[in-house]
Amino acid sequence: MITTTHPVSPEDVMALADGELSGAEAAAVAAHVAECAECSSLAAQLAATSAAFAKWTVPDAPAGLYASVATHVADAGGGKQGSLFGRTAFLRGPRWSVAQMSAVAAVLLLVAAGLTMHYRSRSSSALSSAQMIDGSSLIDPGNSTRGSASRPVPAPPPPPSESLHYKAPQGDQVAVPAQGLAMATLAAPSARARKSDALDAKSTSPAPQVASASPMIARTASLTIVVKDLTAARSSLDSILARRHGYSAQLSVFTPENLLQSAQASLRVPVGELAFAIGDLKTLGHVENEIQSGEEVTQQHADLVARLQNSRETEQRLRAILEQRTGKIEDVLQVEEEIARVRGEIEQMEADQEVLEHRVDFATIDLRLTEQYREQLEPQSATVSMQIRNAFVTGLRHAGATLLGILLFLEEAVPTVLIWLAILAVPGFLFWRRYRRLSAKI
Amino acid sequence: MDQTNPAANSIPSEDSIPMNDGTSAVDGQGEALQSDEQLMLAFAAGRTDAFTVLFERYKQPLFGFFRRRIADPAQAEELTQETFIAILRSAPRYQPSALFRTFLYAIALRVLRAHRRKAAFRATFFGEQPVGHEPAGNSDLVVDLLMREAIARLDRIDREVLLLREFEKLSYTEIAEVLALPLNTVRSRLFRARSALHDLLGAPAPSKPSSAPAAEVRA
Repeated sequence: MITTTHPVSPEDVMALADGELSGAEAAAVAAHVAECAECSSLAAQLAATSAAFAKWTVPDAPAGLYASVATHVADAGGGKQGSLFGRTAFLRGPRWSVAQMSAVAAVLLLVAAGLTMHYRSRSSSALSSAQMIDGSSLIDPGNSTRGSASRPVPAPPPPPSESLHYKAPQGDQVAVPAQGLAMATLAAPSARARKSDALDAKSTSPAPQVASASPMIARTASLTIVVKDLTAARSSLDSILARRHGYSAQLSVFTPENLLQSAQASLRVPVGELAFAIGDLKTLGHVENEIQSGEEVTQQHADLVARLQNSRETEQRLRAILEQRTGKIEDVLQVEEEIARVRGEIEQMEADQEVLEHRVDFATIDLRLTEQYREQLEPQSATVSMQIRNAFVTGLRHAGATLLGILLFLEEAVPTVLIWLAILAVPGFLFWRRYRRLSAKI
Repeated sequence: MDQTNPAANSIPSEDSIPMNDGTSAVDGQGEALQSDEQLMLAFAAGRTDAFTVLFERYKQPLFGFFRRRIADPAQAEELTQETFIAILRSAPRYQPSALFRTFLYAIALRVLRAHRRKAAFRATFFGEQPVGHEPAGNSDLVVDLLMREAIARLDRIDREVLLLREFEKLSYTEIAEVLALPLNTVRSRLFRARSALHDLLGAPAPSKPSSAPAAEVRA
């Protein structure tokens, strides 16, 4: 094989033909090309290729080319080009812009997801702790109507005029007309009188007639009062109860640290004293919420009396059978067992009657006392350095919680994302390959 | 290598810059015609007639730039207009340190790439649109098809280097600047493209002489 060496490269020969060499270099290469037949041939071939390529001409530019540009020239005249420049974003690297915007959007999404997870966990923990506090205060949930501003009283619907529900506006003193109370006072005969009426009626008239004699209403009231001093309010509460011949069925006092003190009480007062007792209680402080309701138990009481009467008659008949007739010892024992069962029922119904009549005679007041919030003047405020340290620690804690939130979000999202990637991978790859092929072709 | 005024050494083609001699022409206001760069600065200062002169100088080269790269004449015309509008909008950013035509073809290449991306994206999802060839004004349809077929077989960057040199008459330095390539890469790619084109057009390929000692000689 014959190998010829040249002092110049073929690119130099091409550059000479293109006029891209400086004077001395061009002279050296030209001298070599003049002497070297191979390089001379190369130069000729390159020139021939360029000449052949130059035959590829294009038509003249369309005459109307300037028409659409002219309007923009007029707009851009007088140094107004800057206003048009904002629309040429593609000149600044669209792919980079898209990539940067995507990266920023991804980071923002991650941070937002992390913060969302963080605050969601915080709010759920706060909610659970609040539920714990609320649950701990529910000492007598069955008898309490506390917080029932948005919750109806779980009693059978009383007559419309006998239910008062008043939510005090902020800063206003409550003044509820005691329409229901007056009715309750007027419609509440003494329990003994009703009992004697019922006993008298058992031999003369059936139970439904007893029920229609006079309405029996169990009164309940609920008060939420904000007081200045809870201790003083408790003392006043005791004196009110003594004055109104009532008593406290239940009293719970909550004194959590760094939180508002409060008390929850279930008071029983004679129904005739209910209006006065409520009036006295309102003097303790600012009434935030007041609910009054009445449950009509006339029918319930009449049914109870009728069943009691029947059971007593049954008991009397059984005793008569036991005294007047003789028989087998098994029959006697069976009659005695029946008498015992009936006696038990009678005692149970008498107890229920007592409770029902007590509810009618004594109204129930669910009272919630909350101490007015007072800002605590801390004797030793934290120093600046301590505040800075605390802020730093808090910031670190929040940053850690945010990172944890991001981690949890990724942990939650990654399986789904992987599934979608697996689903979209094949069509995406096919489209990408087609795009690449067409990009090279166009 | 002469890098002071590369355009001065280039051979103007029929559709190259028509009035870019820098001294002889006279504009509409009777003043001596300025260079491209001076016209661009004058336009940036608010003289719209300066842009008109630039447009007249470069409308044919720019139309040829797109016409050789895109088969559809309507799209070539549209991209030519788009490039001029982009020049209008970017006039405040123009720095006279760069040659105007380098600036012009850099923008034209960006417009072309954006068009190719959009066209490829559309074709990916909606299929390719058939493109009809119009007979060229000065060259016949056979030459047009032959040349398009030949350059389509070249590497993409080799093709751009070749076209920028042969038709836009850019110097090696300007090509390197426009395509963001090293100067030696431009030289080697241009030689490779010309050799490949020689083969594709049917002529025997230029034999590449051994140049092993060349480095030593130049060193």
